[in-house]
Amino acid sequence: MNKMSYKEKFVQMNKEAKATWIVAAIVIIFWWVAGFGVYGAFGSGFTIFGMPAWFVLSCFGSWILSIVLVAYLIKGVFKDFDLDDDDISASSGAGKEEADE
Amino acid sequence: MSNSFMMLAPVVIFFVVLMGMGFYIQKRSSDARAENYSKDYYIGGRSLGGFVLAMTLVATYSSVSSFLSGPGVAWQKGFGWVYYASTQVVAAFLVLGILGKKMAVVGRKTDSVTAVDIIRNRYQSDLLATISAVVIIVFFTTQMIGQFVGGAQIFSAATGLSYEAGLIIFAIVVVLYTTVGGFNAVAITDTACAVMMLIGMFCLAYAIITKGGGLANIMATINEASETARTTGQGFDMVAPTAYNSIPVQLFITQWMLCGVCTIGLPQTNVRCLAYKDTKSVHRAMMYGTIVVGAMMVGMHLLGVLSRGVLLSIPEGASTDTVVPTLISQYMHPVLAGLTIIGPLAATMSTISSLLIAGSSAIVKDIYLHHKEAKKEKVNQKFVGKISIGMTGIMGIVAVVLSINPPDIIVWINMFAFGGLQAAFFWIFLLGLFWKKANRSGALWCIIGGLGSYIFVYITGITIGAFHNIIVGIVVGLICFIIGANIGKPVDDKIGRIFFPEKY
Repeated sequence: MNKMSYKEKFVQMNKEAKATWIVAAIVIIFWWVAGFGVYGAFGSGFTIFGMPAWFVLSCFGSWILSIVLVAYLIKGVFKDFDLDDDDISASSGAGKEEADE
Repeated sequence: MSNSFMMLAPVVIFFVVLMGMGFYIQKRSSDARAENYSKDYYIGGRSLGGFVLAMTLVATYSSVSSFLSGPGVAWQKGFGWVYYASTQVVAAFLVLGILGKKMAVVGRKTDSVTAVDIIRNRYQSDLLATISAVVIIVFFTTQMIGQFVGGAQIFSAATGLSYEAGLIIFAIVVVLYTTVGGFNAVAITDTACAVMMLIGMFCLAYAIITKGGGLANIMATINEASETARTTGQGFDMVAPTAYNSIPVQLFITQWMLCGVCTIGLPQTNVRCLAYKDTKSVHRAMMYGTIVVGAMMVGMHLLGVLSRGVLLSIPEGASTDTVVPTLISQYMHPVLAGLTIIGPLAATMSTISSLLIAGSSAIVKDIYLHHKEAKKEKVNQKFVGKISIGMTGIMGIVAVVLSINPPDIIVWINMFAFGGLQAAFFWIFLLGLFWKKANRSGALWCIIGGLGSYIFVYITGITIGAFHNIIVGIVVGLICFIIGANIGKPVDDKIGRIFFPEKY
C-alpha cells in the first residue's frame, strides 16, 4: 500500500488509464495481424491442431496476449493505494474502517 | 426415473441455491441496511473482493446471446464468427483499468452509489441526471424482457414445459433473489452463475468432441462444408475470417467498438467500479475477468463451430438459436444435459439481476430519493428499504408480464438498447473522468445528439457502408460533446478539485 495524496492518486490513475489504452491497442493490432494478416498470407490451409492457423493465432493468441499484458499492467504499472481520501481522515482512520465494512 | 425429471433436477437444485443465497444475504446485511439502506442494497456497502468483482462483471456482460445466438451463428458461418466474438476479450480489463479506480475514488469522495450519482456530481445537472435515469430505465427494462424471453425459451425447449410456465418459474427465481438480496445477492449469484456457465461449457465441449468422433473428424466435416461453399456457393466458407464476405470487414471494426471499447460506457457494468473494496481487488479482477471472459466468448463460439460435426443441419426455416438447445437435449445424457442447460440459463439470470437492481436504483435513488433530498426532507431508512424492495419487485414483475407476449415496440427497442446505452454514456463517463473541459452543456448535447442520431439512423434505416450504426452515435456524440463543452460554462473549481486535483 502506497501513501499518496489525493492529487498523486490522480496522477497515478491517469498513468494507469493510459497504459490500459496502450495494452488494448496492442491487442487489437495483434488480433488484426494474426487473423486477417495470417489468412491473407497463408489462407486457411495452414492449420494448428487441425483448425485454421489464423483462427488459433488471433482468437487464442489475443486472449493469451491480453492475459500476459494485464499481468504486466498489474505488476508493473498499477499501484496499490487507499481508495478513500486520507488527506482529511488520516488522523482518525475513519475512512479506512468504512471501506472495510 | 424419466429423462425430463433427471434433467430438471440439477436446474431445480441450482434455483433453490440461488434463492437461498438471496435470503441469506438479506439476513446477513440487516445491520448495514439499518444504517444506510441504499448504500447496502444498491452497491453492497463497497465490499466486493477481486474474484466476485470479476465474476459479476463477466456474468452481467455475457447474456443469452453469448450462449445461444452467438454459437448458433458460429455453427452456420464458422470460425469467422468466433473471430468476430473474440473482440470481447478486452472488455473486462478496459472498464476496470480505465474507469475502475477513478470511479471508486470519486465515488467515495462524493458518496455516490449509482452510475447516475457520478454523472450528477460531475456535471452538476439534475436535468442530465434525470435524462440518464430515464434512458437507463427504458433500455434496462427492454433488455430485461429480451433476456426473459430468451431464458424462458431455453427453459421450455429443454424441459418440455410451456413457454409461459418456463417463464414464470425461471422469472420468479431471479426476481425474488434480486429483490430480497439486493446488490450483494446479485454479485454472489452472478459468481455462482459464472461458475455454472464454465461448467456447462466444459460439459458441452465434452459432448461435442465425443459425439463428433474427435476434433479431426469434426474438422473434416467443416472443411468439406467449406469446400462445397467455395465451389458451389451453397452455405458458408467456415474456415475464412469473413466467411466468404458474409461478415464484412467494416463490421469487425464496429464490433471492436460495440462489444469492446465502448462497453466501458454501460452503466450496468461500470457501476461495479463503485462496489469493490480496495485496489488489490480491482487488480485481481482485471486478471480473472480477462481470463474468464476470453475463455467464455472464444470457448462458447468455438463450440458452436465444432457442433457442426455433430449436428449437420437444422430443420428448414428453424432459427440458428435452436442449435445449442438441440445439442443439449438430444446429444447429452439427461443429468449432464440438466447441468449444461444451467449455463445459458445462468447467463440470462445474471444479466437480468444486474439490470434489475441497477434499474431499480435509477428510480429509487436517482429520481425519488434525490427529489426528497432536494426538498431537504429527511428520509427514514426503514421506508427507503420498503420502497427499494418494492420498486425492484414491481420492475421485475412488469418485465415478466410484458415478456409473456412482448409488444413489438419492446422487441424493437431491445434491438438497439445495447448500442443506445453506449451512444448515451460512453463519452459522458470517459470525458467526464478524463477531460476537465467536459461540462454540463457538453454532456447534455452528447446524450441528446449521440443517442438521438443513433436512434434516428435506426428508425430511418440509413446505413453508412457496412458499419454498425453505433459508429454514428459515437461520432455524433463526440462532436456534440466538444461543441457543447466550448459553448457552455466551464466546471467550477469545487468540482474541478474533486475530479481533477492534478490540474490545480
